[in-house]
Amino acid sequence: MAPAGVWAADALHDSGTPAVSTGHAVLDAQLPGGGWPLGTLVELLPAAGSVPLWPLLLPALAAHRVGQGTVVLVGAPQSPRPAAGWQPGLPALAAAGLPPARLLWVPGASAADRLWATEQALRCADVAAVLAWLPQARPADLRRLQLAAAKGGDGLLFVLRPAPAARAASPAPLRLRLDVGAAGDALVVDIVKRRGPPLAAPLHLPAQSPAMRALLAAGAARGRTGQARQGARVLPFAVRSGGAQPGDAAAREVVHAVDRVAVAA
Amino acid sequence: MQWIALQWPPEAAPAPCPATVATTTTAEQEPRRAPDEALGWWALQFTPRVAQVDEALLLEVSASLRLWGGLRALAQRIEAENPAPPLIWQAPAAIGLVALAQLRLRATGQALPPPSALPEALPLEALSAARAHLPLLARLGCRSWGQAHALPRAGLVRRCGPQLRAALDVAFGLVPESYPWLTAPERFDQSLDLHTHVDNAPALLWAAARLLTALQHWLRARQLGVLALELAWTLDLKRLHGQPLPPGQALVVRTAQPAQAMEHLRRLLAERLARVQLLAPAVQLRLRALQTAPWQLASHSLLPEERRAGDPLHVFIERVSARLGPGQVLAAEPVADHRPEQRQRWRPAQQAPRHRAPATEPGWADALAPSWLFPEPLPLAEQGGRPLYHGPLQLLAGPRRIEAGWWPTGDAPSPAAARKQEGDPSIANKTRADSEAVPLDGSSPAARDYYVARNPAAELLWVFRERPTARQPQAAPRWFLHGLYA
Repeated sequence: MAPAGVWAADALHDSGTPAVSTGHAVLDAQLPGGGWPLGTLVELLPAAGSVPLWPLLLPALAAHRVGQGTVVLVGAPQSPRPAAGWQPGLPALAAAGLPPARLLWVPGASAADRLWATEQALRCADVAAVLAWLPQARPADLRRLQLAAAKGGDGLLFVLRPAPAARAASPAPLRLRLDVGAAGDALVVDIVKRRGPPLAAPLHLPAQSPAMRALLAAGAARGRTGQARQGARVLPFAVRSGGAQPGDAAAREVVHAVDRVAVAA
Repeated sequence: MQWIALQWPPEAAPAPCPATVATTTTAEQEPRRAPDEALGWWALQFTPRVAQVDEALLLEVSASLRLWGGLRALAQRIEAENPAPPLIWQAPAAIGLVALAQLRLRATGQALPPPSALPEALPLEALSAARAHLPLLARLGCRSWGQAHALPRAGLVRRCGPQLRAALDVAFGLVPESYPWLTAPERFDQSLDLHTHVDNAPALLWAAARLLTALQHWLRARQLGVLALELAWTLDLKRLHGQPLPPGQALVVRTAQPAQAMEHLRRLLAERLARVQLLAPAVQLRLRALQTAPWQLASHSLLPEERRAGDPLHVFIERVSARLGPGQVLAAEPVADHRPEQRQRWRPAQQAPRHRAPATEPGWADALAPSWLFPEPLPLAEQGGRPLYHGPLQLLAGPRRIEAGWWPTGDAPSPAAARKQEGDPSIANKTRADSEAVPLDGSSPAARDYYVARNPAAELLWVFRERPTARQPQAAPRWFLHGLYA
């Protein structure tokens, strides 16, 4: 039994800082404090712009300070067309529990502007979380942000930097490298730095929202059905075997006209 | 009755010394110090009866003494809240003129007479009404208030006029004391002459701080909060390089919540002033309160954990808007439209009223919509009927058909259309039939089939194919990338 204030480095350090559950039990188990720490700089290092970020963050953003508190986005991920950038898709975020009224967006013309706006947002009492894309941030800037976040107390701060920055030192107490699985259906999270032992193997989290997963599963099932149908030249309105469970030949269903969703590809 | 006389010693004269008091009254005034009028407004918080008498402020505090916890506590409070540090002189007495005389004795470094001998032993130099007649009274052998009081009333009035006798009556408590009481004016409008020509914004701000302090005293006296204020300055030159100059420049600063603390407004002014170019050196500053609202103290929660340290949200929005421009702080706004690019709108957060958040309709939230959206769809190349984006796309789900925008929206063109028309005037001159061939400018109907697709890089994309409609039956189907699930 370790005395109070002593942290054995082979165990996760629970310093008593409050944390918000990430909404992913697998990730919660590996984070000190059992979730995203409050008042702490969390550095996220996505390997590409299309790494599924919202599925990772949205559960915590929606749950932290339910119904109140603003989420400030600073900057945006790099777009293939610099002229017309990306915008957060509001209907999707609203469906995940983050209504548009809780969102503020500071596009930020220059890196210095974005950094300054992030710091100002951390000072604000009504801001529940800050999501900042700061690819050009230097360690000294991150240190400033970490201090500002600690002073702000109970806000979430995520700073997104490109994956090569993982090799450089950073003052962030928690750093996560994000990548997308080969099949595109999993988000691979590697904890680069935490108060605890190194992570043995990267974690695999769902890369899509539950509704999207269901849609893709249904689409895949339909795709198989469609291929089978094309091969057998089965006419519509005919009785066919259920494509969702190919092994289960007993499951048979009647296809109605309304079910005839056009199958792609 | 209980009176307190207040006076702020002239600056650059830390020690009250008779030689310096007369000479350094207006030589160098620190810009931080509010004008005398504003100091009177500040004193209005202690009692409604405040009067400017000669060089001092007289406060009649007998009615509010219990509120402030007695004379000693009030004196300490005045000392602690001194609006024009470092020094404040105060002298309490039962009669205002006596308090004023004590203050003058202290200012000139003379010893105070014992309290038991109070009005009688005071020298006549400390009485304003006697100053004109000092030589005459000295020749009569009168040096103190008591000696003058003992002179025959009729003769004194005949020789010196009624003012001296009236002042003595007041000092000895024979006649009640009354002054024109100070009130805060209905509107705040103060000017300040700059002693030097100010040609840069930081120096202007430094001078404006003095007016802002005055504004704060005025707001507190009138129980108001300011919503909008205007800082104007007069230019010294009428012409510069042969070009006629306007007489002055002005800057309007607005805030969302009524404010009494000047820190936020000062920051806003600083950000705005940093962007303003002074056309010529300024000689005079003028500050006006354009809009005020009754001041309401915010009620706090009893529980300590409910309180959070930090600025309110509107302060953050206004500060960032002032520095980066209003278009750099955007609030999201849901719009009832089926076209994804029209469904959400970002507008400057300063203009969007936060308190009445637009209610989203029940069907507005969409779990199957992409979490990143291109405001303008990206045209995709095609290969064998399949769209390409970092490789051929594999369509996973769909189609989801969206057909909207068939109504004319000529009054509100989309940003894409507006940009096109600005950039190329020839497009603006084209006819309606021509513009229908370009179906993505928001003014023409959208007939699209949306698909969820995956490319070889394992990205999950939201693409659509234009569908031929009755208006354009021959249009070749084109593919566009419109969003990203990430």
